[in-house]
Amino acid sequence: MSPKLKLLREVISNIFSRPATIQYPREPAAVSSEYRGLHYPDLNKCIGCSLCMVDCPANAIKMVKLPPDYTNPKNPRGIYPVVDYGKCVFCYQCVFVCPVKAYITSNKFDMADYVTHNSQALSLKTIRKGDKG
Amino acid sequence: MAKYVEVPVGPQHPALHEPIMLRVKLDGEVVEGVDIVTGYNHRGVEKLGEKNSWVRDIYIFSRICGICNAVHAQTYTQGVEKLMGVEPPPRAKYIRTIVMELERIHSHMLINAVMAEAIGFDTLFMLIMRDRERVMHLKEIITGQRVHADIHIIGGVKRDLKPETAEKVLRVLDYIEARLKHYKKVFEEDYTIRKRLEDVGKISKQEALKHSLVGPVLRASGVPSDVRVDDPYSAYDELKPNIVVRHEGDSLARMLLRWDEALESVRLIRAAIKNMPKGNPVPKAIKRAAGKGEVFSRVEAPRGELIYHIVSTGGPKPYRIKVRTPSFNNIVNSGFAYIGERLADVPVILTSFDPCISCTERVLVVDEKKGLRKWVPFMALSRGEIRVA
Ligand code: SF4
Ligand code: SF4
Repeated sequence: MSPKLKLLREVISNIFSRPATIQYPREPAAVSSEYRGLHYPDLNKCIGCSLCMVDCPANAIKMVKLPPDYTNPKNPRGIYPVVDYGKCVFCYQCVFVCPVKAYITSNKFDMADYVTHNSQALSLKTIRKGDKG
Repeated sequence: MAKYVEVPVGPQHPALHEPIMLRVKLDGEVVEGVDIVTGYNHRGVEKLGEKNSWVRDIYIFSRICGICNAVHAQTYTQGVEKLMGVEPPPRAKYIRTIVMELERIHSHMLINAVMAEAIGFDTLFMLIMRDRERVMHLKEIITGQRVHADIHIIGGVKRDLKPETAEKVLRVLDYIEARLKHYKKVFEEDYTIRKRLEDVGKISKQEALKHSLVGPVLRASGVPSDVRVDDPYSAYDELKPNIVVRHEGDSLARMLLRWDEALESVRLIRAAIKNMPKGNPVPKAIKRAAGKGEVFSRVEAPRGELIYHIVSTGGPKPYRIKVRTPSFNNIVNSGFAYIGERLADVPVILTSFDPCISCTERVLVVDEKKGLRKWVPFMALSRGEIRVA
């Protein structure tokens, strides 16, 4: 079949087939589990070494103090990283470089919002109840 | 003074990077000369590189271009590795190669799609872009993102290639290969496409060499030059890519050459997956300081030879990094190729150079005699729907 006829046949069959584009957000976008999406440090694992902050190319990470009622003997400096998702470029250098693999990763990508988000609340949630105070 | 109408094509386009302006001088419909005006998009990347550490710079330099990010990361990391005396494991080299070849396939598909759109063949544009998305998906499952691979790290890669991912890549490649062959045939045989591209913007071998053109533009004029073969890096010394050369030197040859190269990339990815060495490609520790020295690193990007000159005075940061991208040669030096062509062919010729820009969305038509100025859309211009007189 000549390529032009083949093209024409394809076009006609496309009229009756499902659209190739995804109707986001009415339908969830198909994102693979490998996708580099939202990530935040697990405070039970983080040792406060600041390596992730040093390597972040977007300066998206700030080290902040742990809450006063939480101490972690593994984290003598008492600091942990907070990721500003508005600045983050999702290169995952922080995830890669962390010596204790503290980052929890996900394939969540839809973070656009009217307010800016950071990882602080998510990280604080990782504190186990028994570890408090 | 000769009387001519000057049509500035560009410099703004919201969709793609690298705004550029072509100031086209016309005698009626015929192009008498083209001034290529650049400098609209100074981002200070090289300076930013000097201010940041060796590791951070991998991500900074890979963001010079969205389409060719893995090759930018490759050129930078292979230079830095040479400077630091680090040798990445063989498996890492193969994974890098697979990612770069996927990038070549989707880059070539993109520009062929853009060409189809520029000549008014929107259906073909849609179909190619739909299939291109499959390649992007492969990049996503290998590296974690469909555009920015960010898989390079000094001394290896950040993720290993899982066997099930490799299998999926091979499966999708079968589909892609069939589609690439189909589209190549469409470009070869379609009357409309031939009419718009054949013998348009012809560049002879001598001209291509004289003006230092690189990449597919050079190869389409009959010069077999490819860094992957001339100066092999990563796994190319073992994979042995074939150089695709055409001799016609016109816009059609440049587009067809890209389809052939994409098919060659499919072969390379298959070979890379088949011959993938075992071992751990992910380095345990990253080297963070380099000694004194200078390196010159080059890679065959989808658009041609990409060069990095890295200077180190020792320590945690580079002293100077100079980047020479292939589009720079191909666009800035190619003004001669437009002369004698029609105005409506200007976008076709520009697109056939794969300029990494589509700054030419709108066109300001200046009628010097009447002093009139009128904005017209790029598409109307490329379809010959406007008359300048
Ligand atoms: S993913 Fe990259 S940009 Fe985002 S916080 Fe981590 S290192 Fe910074
Ligand atoms: S690199 Fe890991 S351990 Fe160190 S501060 Fe960051 S999250 Fe915590």
